[in-house]
Amino acid sequence: MSRSSHAAVARSATTERTATAVVGTLALLAGLLALVVGAGWLGSDRATRPVADPVAVDWLGGSGVLGRLLALLLGLVLLALGVRWAVRALRPEHHPEVEFDDADGELRVSARAVTEAVQDDARGIDGVSRARVTLVGTEQRPALRLLLALRRGTDVRAVWSALEHRVLGRARDALGLERLPAAVHLELDAAEGHRVR
Amino acid sequence: MRALIRILATLIGVAVAVAGVLTIIEVLWAWWRPASAPLWVPWPGWLDQASTTTWQDTGTRVTAALVALAGLVLVLLAASARRHHLALHDPAPDVTVTTSSRSLARVVGHRVRAETGVRSASVTATRGHVTVRAVPAPVDGDETLQPRLLAVVRDLVDDLPLREKPRVTVTVVSSRERREHQPEPSRSRPATPGLRPGS
Repeated sequence: MSRSSHAAVARSATTERTATAVVGTLALLAGLLALVVGAGWLGSDRATRPVADPVAVDWLGGSGVLGRLLALLLGLVLLALGVRWAVRALRPEHHPEVEFDDADGELRVSARAVTEAVQDDARGIDGVSRARVTLVGTEQRPALRLLLALRRGTDVRAVWSALEHRVLGRARDALGLERLPAAVHLELDAAEGHRVR
Repeated sequence: MRALIRILATLIGVAVAVAGVLTIIEVLWAWWRPASAPLWVPWPGWLDQASTTTWQDTGTRVTAALVALAGLVLVLLAASARRHHLALHDPAPDVTVTTSSRSLARVVGHRVRAETGVRSASVTATRGHVTVRAVPAPVDGDETLQPRLLAVVRDLVDDLPLREKPRVTVTVVSSRERREHQPEPSRSRPATPGLRPGS
């Protein structure tokens, strides 16, 4: 299995999942630890101490510059992490422009032009009722994502070979790329004439 | 799930960033003018309150339990937001093909309903398991229906170039039994055509 075509199957949600999992794990551990302390499992003496323990408060207050700098550092880390997560989650998926050299020099092809051509090719395959194509990845390593709806009774293997020889081969040739990873999602037995809700 | 995790991550990111900014502002303000602290966040009040409540107070325990529960929900959401595609064999290097469990259920459902002696059928499909519940035609006292359907569905699933072959279970519910027991139809997803074909 090729990693780059596998990555094009769907937009990555790794950052979002990591951020949620990290915050969730921290909250879970903090809550459980507080419950354990409250239940007296770390000593009944500890359970009856105030939440803002005077020892800790005095130490922090008496530490002067160090405590403040630590608090400032914590604030900066939170700010940087939070902004990074929010920006990553809100940013729309990147659709690269493809660049290649022709006789006159460099030519940029918009992602839209590429995908429309591939989409038309894919719709021409026997048994394909709908096709949606997007170009994903980076400028250096673009990849195609194809969403094909197949009519009932279509032979999946026939669609595969048509895809490989007619659609993807042509797309590679047209773009002058040796490699163009592709992720194909098939909706089998898709009903025609029904609108996507 | 993947859309939800995107929204959640945005909210978490904004909340974390705001917490960071407020921390920085309050620390700098308290450093610069200790007498007029706090600026916006009433943290001295919180500190006073926290120095009078103990770890074993009900309030502390309820808060801790709620925080732990919220954390657990976040962890579960993050874990469930993985890709739910069924992988097919790669037809060529650099090409990955996937389909949906809904598609598989649709294919199996159409095939089973096309068999003679089947009045209706519901299909549930996951990556590892295809479950068919078929109701036979009322007049047909066909004992061979279950093995026949099993063979048909097995052939059909084997014929699809799925990377992971799902197990197949076929249950034939007789109409009489169905009337007596009233089995719950809500849990099985009927694979009718036109079920959100684009999803």
